[in-house]
Amino acid sequence: MALTDRHPMESPPAAAPSHPLPRKPVRQPRLSAIEGGQPAAGAPRPFRPKEWLESAPGSWMLGALSIAIVLLAWYLLTVYRVDFYVRFGNIPTPVEVWHSIVGVSHSSRFLTDIGISLRRVLLGFLGATVTGTLIGILVGRYRIFRSLTMPAMEVFRPIPAIAWVPMAIMLWPSNEVSIVFITFIGAFFPILINTIHGVEQIDEVLFRAAYSLGAKEKDVILYVVIPGALQHIFAGLSIGMGVAWVSLIAAEMISGQFGIGYFTWEAYSLISYPDIALGMITIGVLGLLCSKAINLCSQLVMPWMAAAAGARK
Amino acid sequence: MSTQSGLIEVRDLNINFKAKGETVQAVKSVSLNVQPGEFVSLIGPSGCGKSTLMNAVAGFIKASGGVLTLDGGAIDGPGSDRGVVFQQYSLFPWMTVRKNVEFGLRMKGVSPSQRETQARTLLGLAGLLAFENHYPSQLSGGMKQRVGIVRALATGPQVLLMDEPFGALDSQTRSVMQEILTNMWQRLRLSVLFITHDIEEAIFLSDRIYVMTARPGRIKAELKVPLPRPRRAEMMDTPEFTAMLRSIKKLLREESFAAMGSELSEGGYDGLSMEVGPEGVSHVL
Repeated sequence: MALTDRHPMESPPAAAPSHPLPRKPVRQPRLSAIEGGQPAAGAPRPFRPKEWLESAPGSWMLGALSIAIVLLAWYLLTVYRVDFYVRFGNIPTPVEVWHSIVGVSHSSRFLTDIGISLRRVLLGFLGATVTGTLIGILVGRYRIFRSLTMPAMEVFRPIPAIAWVPMAIMLWPSNEVSIVFITFIGAFFPILINTIHGVEQIDEVLFRAAYSLGAKEKDVILYVVIPGALQHIFAGLSIGMGVAWVSLIAAEMISGQFGIGYFTWEAYSLISYPDIALGMITIGVLGLLCSKAINLCSQLVMPWMAAAAGARK
Repeated sequence: MSTQSGLIEVRDLNINFKAKGETVQAVKSVSLNVQPGEFVSLIGPSGCGKSTLMNAVAGFIKASGGVLTLDGGAIDGPGSDRGVVFQQYSLFPWMTVRKNVEFGLRMKGVSPSQRETQARTLLGLAGLLAFENHYPSQLSGGMKQRVGIVRALATGPQVLLMDEPFGALDSQTRSVMQEILTNMWQRLRLSVLFITHDIEEAIFLSDRIYVMTARPGRIKAELKVPLPRPRRAEMMDTPEFTAMLRSIKKLLREESFAAMGSELSEGGYDGLSMEVGPEGVSHVL
């Protein structure tokens, strides 16, 4: 993008003509640092590498470069079987992994594994979202509820989800449910804690404003507490989704028969090393997609955040 | 809007706080009233309990003793019969300007189409219609506060309670807002209880001014503003205005010294008579 072609960010439209009195001028968007010190438009500009690298195509290229460096390093380390304390002797090369990706894309077993892992993670995560936000709102809003529930929660909170594996297997009727339960435990506490924090940080004046406009308790929950805590709730969902994946993969490796975690561990047992890398890459991509999905939801649900970010520019 | 209602009466009001196990008296036997359609200001040194008093009238805090009534009925908790404009911006950040204004009507169960019409009418009167779909974060401080006033008026309250509404604004925006407010009041004629520490603002806007003492806050004086209505900015240059400004300043100076007295003596100063020569403060220190 040519720097001088940049359109300024849209600013609020001009005042209504009916308004009789002057007011503070609408804030003008500040030019970003790289646009400072530009020669007048029309004058030929010398090429500056730093400027180009900070522009959109430049940063794309840098991104591609960073991935290329990783692939190249991987290739060189594995092709030459580097053994320098860290041993690359058994590590599959990128080419082997590529063949494994091509091979497995025809296999229904692999897709089933992905489907099963996704179902587990989503069930556990949804359960944690519903219970975590619900309890979080009640705890953040009502002191009595907090005193009643939080001491018990604090007992369970430091126990990592993975430590629940043996207990979960005994507790639940099937392996499937116990893995979902472990995923749930992993996601639950980050969501709960962030929701509580989100409710607590809402400015008292907003509650007063709502009450003085005739709001009842249910309106306050609906129109003040929930939207007010939403930003923190989404932060909790983001962290919770990450922990849910960690817990899921560990649970699948320990006790699964299906799933991408099981696939990765099985590849190790069967000495099919390229599949280990394939499993890892798949887990990374799935985690990334889930986290992007949450980001997308948060933008759809909180349009005012984008407006606030635009106003700060 | 009926000018028959909107009578605020406060009799022998006491408000105590518990802080660190000690009981602090914020407001001490205050009696005041706001007649229907009257603009009354409450002015006093900072920390004198004027905001506390307003919060009690709004129903946000409970009185420790005394009587608080609106049109003869005891005030028990907040309600939409008293519109409140806060010192800090209190717009809901997650609602557009119009949704903020509609909020009170929504709580009253007004239908969506009717809400929209009423909100847009009010926003038009305040010159904010072009911004109806903006979020509060996209507005300037003066605009936010105008939306705050419009939102408080939308439910048609008999009384408007304003707690230093222009305190956070720069002085130019502030005087514009004062003119907007006095014009709006001229049209609506509702009772206003206005809290401020700005004397000129109080005189310019009010029919009557109560001056409060330092904590515990009591009423030190009650003054009628002799300026005619409608108010115009030029009136701030009249002898009546200046005379009134001077007398309130004198009343307040005594109280400000009383309020700060303990702080000053703790600092080891005996009054504020430190002399600083051309060498500047560094020399003295």
